[in-house]
Amino acid sequence: MAATASTAAGSAHELDLACTVNGEPVRLRVDTRESLLDVLRERLGVTGPKKGCDHGQCGACTVHLDGRRVVSCLTPAVQVTGADVTTVEGVAGPDGELHPLQQAFIDHDALQCGYCTPGQIMSGLACLAEGHAGDDDEVREYMSGNLCRCGAYAGIVAAVRAVAEQGR
Amino acid sequence: MSPEPQDTQPVDTRRVDAREKVTGAALYATDLHPDQLAHATLATATIGRGRIAELDVSAAAAVPGVLLVLSHLDHLDLQSPGFVMGGGYGVQSLQPLLDDRIAYRGQAIALVVAETLTAATEAANLVRARYETEPFAATLDSPGVERLSQPATIPLPFLADLDVGDAESAYATAALHVDATYDQPAQHQNPMELIGATVSWRGDTLVVHEGTQNAGAIRHGLAQQLGIDAANVEVISPYTGGGFGQKNSLQIHIGPLALAARRLGRPVKLVVSRAQLFHHTSFRPASRHRIRLGADEHGRMVAAIHEVEHQTSRHDLFPLMYTEITSRLYGIRDFRGRQTFARMDTQSPGFMRAPFEHPAAFAFESAVDELAYAAHRDPLEFRLANDTTVDPVSGEPFSSRHLAQCLRRGAKRFGWSARQQRPASMRAEDGSLVGWGVAVGAYPASIVPSAAHLVAGADGRIRVEVDGHEMGQGIRSTIAILVAENLGIGVHDVDIVVGDTRVATQHLTAGSWGTASTLGAVHAALRALREQLGMDTRGPVDVASAVRATGRDQVEARAETLGPGQTEQDAEHARKGLPTLSGPEFPGYSTFSWIAHFVEVRVEPTTCRIRVPRVVSVADCGRVASPVTAASQVRGGIVWGIGASLREAGAVDPRYGGFLNNSLEEYPVPVNADIGTLDVDFIGEPDLRFHPVGVKGLGEVSMVGVAAAVANAVFHATGVRHRRLPIRIEDVLAGTTA
Ligand code: FES
Ligand code: FES
Repeated sequence: MAATASTAAGSAHELDLACTVNGEPVRLRVDTRESLLDVLRERLGVTGPKKGCDHGQCGACTVHLDGRRVVSCLTPAVQVTGADVTTVEGVAGPDGELHPLQQAFIDHDALQCGYCTPGQIMSGLACLAEGHAGDDDEVREYMSGNLCRCGAYAGIVAAVRAVAEQGR
Repeated sequence: MSPEPQDTQPVDTRRVDAREKVTGAALYATDLHPDQLAHATLATATIGRGRIAELDVSAAAAVPGVLLVLSHLDHLDLQSPGFVMGGGYGVQSLQPLLDDRIAYRGQAIALVVAETLTAATEAANLVRARYETEPFAATLDSPGVERLSQPATIPLPFLADLDVGDAESAYATAALHVDATYDQPAQHQNPMELIGATVSWRGDTLVVHEGTQNAGAIRHGLAQQLGIDAANVEVISPYTGGGFGQKNSLQIHIGPLALAARRLGRPVKLVVSRAQLFHHTSFRPASRHRIRLGADEHGRMVAAIHEVEHQTSRHDLFPLMYTEITSRLYGIRDFRGRQTFARMDTQSPGFMRAPFEHPAAFAFESAVDELAYAAHRDPLEFRLANDTTVDPVSGEPFSSRHLAQCLRRGAKRFGWSARQQRPASMRAEDGSLVGWGVAVGAYPASIVPSAAHLVAGADGRIRVEVDGHEMGQGIRSTIAILVAENLGIGVHDVDIVVGDTRVATQHLTAGSWGTASTLGAVHAALRALREQLGMDTRGPVDVASAVRATGRDQVEARAETLGPGQTEQDAEHARKGLPTLSGPEFPGYSTFSWIAHFVEVRVEPTTCRIRVPRVVSVADCGRVASPVTAASQVRGGIVWGIGASLREAGAVDPRYGGFLNNSLEEYPVPVNADIGTLDVDFIGEPDLRFHPVGVKGLGEVSMVGVAAAVANAVFHATGVRHRRLPIRIEDVLAGTTA
């Protein structure tokens, strides 16, 4: 952020953002420097996506952009105009029935503190959709962008694999 | 004491707060966004030590949206909170922003508050300081490090040197010797939840939301810092996104945030950046261990000398307690322990999972392996032959010690009997060198004063308000299972409130005492509740009708419990938010949790990349209070051990001070693909001498010894002994080509 001094007088550049978040239309004026993560958390109150590093290194902020997984901390908010954003809050069914992967996370104790879990769920869903859940090693590889400091990796692999097996 | 019969109806053992966590409904402290919220950021010092000659915050203050810039220029009305290990509450005694002194690189020099996070971030980058620098020391080998003997500096019994028998003479006359030095680097807890808080005032009452292991210290520490009554401070922390020791006391940002919130009349939130965290709060101190071991001609260990030094800051003395476990791992008659502070210019180090026990076990269990090889003995058999049932330090029995059983059962599960003793003798199909290593660990079991409040409702639900924090270890689940089993109700009929100073004293949850302490209080409160309800001391209870039969809407019961040998004075201490350092003193026995780890490594011969395809760990933690969350705790501990042995080190540049690799990219922690098959088992024997429910601690012991087992496996794979953690590709490469 070396160039920030020049913005001191006239403030930031702002642009309009129009997208959907978990199916709800959103219209908002955003600072071009704001990340999708900060807009979700601080402006829209969608706090399922977590901040673990703000540098694309931990995966806690993972959301889906038109069905693809992205780290929302490295995604400029302005860039998602026209896109559908899905966060962990948008995964369960309309009556709150859990997605099979959420249930599998509970059944396999794929979490401890729960802080990385929203990101793990979003990555896990993508891992399944991408067809990268064929065996344990493949899941380990394709889930390695999501750190879990509690070390719940074994449960995470088991949960993703269980859903992959159900889907076959 | 006889075990109380449990209702045998099986309860749902899955983690009780998992649903909130998989749906995003669990709200962590910095998920809150109250009306009128302002955002804070920190500017930090860029020198290793010295003073701020000039601070210019004008550009920062001019950024549109900036509301406030706080620095030492504002003469903040804030006292030191004291150091948590020095009779105080703080992560360190030094409170930044009060004067122009810079004690370490990365020390906060200004707090910026703005309407938006973007403006606050921009402004913090515009804070300018000119410094007068002074020489500093930042590593154990830097000139200027001040060394102090621990007992001479802090003459407290539990920090004394250990002298059992005459270890020097026994060592001198032993038939076999190992004399080696092991290095443990500084490491950083890096819980996934960044440290941060949402702070506001409700009239004269300060309300703090922060993920913590110690809401009590935050409450009382802030009262001291701000000169207000602790009754006017509320600390609320229902979920903590991992603690691992880093969140065990009052952080340095909360006092300044409270001042900012008061000045602005608005709630203020700060999320400390990952980069800043490496200097903002505690870390595992670097330590150096010289181990001398002697054995007789039969391979019986007869002498051990463990001399250790670790880094601490100039402003605080973080104590050393490494020899507590190394003196108990085996039946070694003559033991000598010496512990030394090495003061230097960093923030104060502190607790990180298995703070002393992990480095101590790495050093000691590596040395034991070296001695086993010197004696031409199988490392497993060598350990079993040196087992003990008596605490060699006190001469008293252990309340329970099933370590030999952990070793035997683990060996069987692992298939140890197929191991070839000679190093570099086992190969995988792909040509990788295969190494099998074993090591043991221990962790002192302890109990602290605790409190529980139960409310039985006419709807049949039980509300449990307790002293304790949920950091992911599963305290909610252990409580729910205990209550459900006791009353014969479902786990989801139990509502649990933790980490909230409005409902109970909140003693520090750490040191693996959480489960034993909290369950003890809940257990006592359950008895009181049964009495109130006029029910038998055992058997299922129809809570709804029992409550209605009393003619009341709800029936309450309370209990406060202490560890053995603790007094009302300790309870009072705990109510003031101070950690219990005295006791517990167990009459006639000593108490530890035990574990054995078996590790397979594979070393790829060209790149020397080390992989850990499988680990078998068997723990003796007494009764397993919550089987699902307990197994997860052990798996987590193994992951930590793998990170500690192969990945994690805070890199210090002696020229600049501070930690260079302050990101998750450059401070790698284990990722999913680093972890293979983890096979966890428990002995499961309740320890009813130690505890009414039979539980000992688990969270920390699970990590103890893993690093040694990995290092021993690397030795077995390659024939090269690595005495410095972490063991990296370049170390193995250098060893094999040397
Ligand atoms: S917060 Fe986005 S990857 Fe860590
Ligand atoms: S569950 Fe705590 S970081 Fe993954």
